[in-house]
Amino acid sequence: MAPLLRNLAAALLALTAAGCATAPNGPGVDQNDPYEVQNRKIFELNQSLDRNFMLPVAKGYVAVVPEPARDGIHNFLANLHVPVIFANDVLQGEVNRAGDTFGRFAVNSTVGVGGLIDVAAKIGIPEHHSDFGETLAVYGVDEGPYLVLPLIGPSNPRDAAGYVVDAALDPSTWISWRSSTFFKLGRGALDIVDERSRNIETLDELERTSVDLYATLRSLYRQHREAEINHGKANIENLPNF
Amino acid sequence: MTPTSTARSSTRHFGAIAAAWLIAFGVVLFSLTETARAQTAAENYVRENVQRGLTILNNRSIPDAQRRTEFRNFLTGLTDLPRIALFTLGPARRTATPAQIDAFVDAFRNYAVAVYESRLKAYAGQTLRVTGSTAHGPNDYIVTTTLVDPTGRTEAQGEPIEVDFRVDSSNGRFVVIDASIVGVWLALEERDQFTAFLEENNGNLDGLTTHLNMLTNRLRGGGPSTPTH
Repeated sequence: MAPLLRNLAAALLALTAAGCATAPNGPGVDQNDPYEVQNRKIFELNQSLDRNFMLPVAKGYVAVVPEPARDGIHNFLANLHVPVIFANDVLQGEVNRAGDTFGRFAVNSTVGVGGLIDVAAKIGIPEHHSDFGETLAVYGVDEGPYLVLPLIGPSNPRDAAGYVVDAALDPSTWISWRSSTFFKLGRGALDIVDERSRNIETLDELERTSVDLYATLRSLYRQHREAEINHGKANIENLPNF
Repeated sequence: MTPTSTARSSTRHFGAIAAAWLIAFGVVLFSLTETARAQTAAENYVRENVQRGLTILNNRSIPDAQRRTEFRNFLTGLTDLPRIALFTLGPARRTATPAQIDAFVDAFRNYAVAVYESRLKAYAGQTLRVTGSTAHGPNDYIVTTTLVDPTGRTEAQGEPIEVDFRVDSSNGRFVVIDASIVGVWLALEERDQFTAFLEENNGNLDGLTTHLNMLTNRLRGGGPSTPTH
């Protein structure tokens, strides 16, 4: 597995380097955003989709479904995602975090009634995030230029490749049964609605207080991803002088 | 040279080396002790003062205008807003006139108070727990804290929220010059926004100042979210 990963990492590194080499000069270069003009157009498209479709659906979901039920749904969805987190913890060589993830899955799937109740967090094993984009970063793959992807939003070549591999690492991708297609589509849709509904106030706050929402989200994404790769710790190595 | 004088010379030589090592050790020890003492002082500064800000925002027994004034006084005392303003201006600072900079710093001060008040409201009921600190450079410390929800809700939803404060003491007193919430440094984020605005608007600093003032007024008045520019 390790040589395969290294080859994949090297291929992505080469791809990223090629992308950087051909990147145009212009606005956004300082923010690692050489495709800012195109990214802003996709951002506007995503914003329009969000305003006209995702936000109303998320608000409707919050209005109709009581909070305890929404929490249960969120916990259930998060529990389904645990195998991917576990795989990435292992690939990153994070034995303790992998143990926590395994423990969370075992506890929440049983005592937590199939994942509906986050019992693990209550007994001191909080949820943590891990994905293949992070794993690639741990293997030394550079993020590449900032990208805004249609429907997905802020990303970069490394994280975009990570989405694909995470989907492949998810057992539900490979398991089929009579109604599996409906389950997978329903899960995907509910994941999006759950995520959006949990960020209504935060995104509204950012929109209200930002001078340039595109630049705000770009900065938040890049800084937050760096912190996630560092297991939630802010970057204090390369801070600028004031 | 006789064996006795060689022995005496070696002893003197050894003594000098030992003394040098002792002095060096003492200097390092003193320096480490001083750094540790300064870090502890920075931690205390954050522990005592930042909680006060959260308490002000959580105080629903006073009128909005009074809470706003108290928060403004708190924030201007806790942080070095003019210095943060100049940092967020980025390279545009070099070509700006003193009058433009003064106007921008004023606009930034009002904007920062309005934005931080608005953004920190979400954490108003929580308590701050200092978890440690790191010396980032001379007179430059990072104090790490976590926000703890008294209801336990934050921890139930995931890892506790980590908030780091960058504290500077180069002017003889502690001031906060940046804060990071879940890994996002706020002054860096503001600099990225302002730089983008200036790039989109042909480097028009007066335009940025006007825009900040307009945004602050809208935040104060609770007007529509997206001002035109």
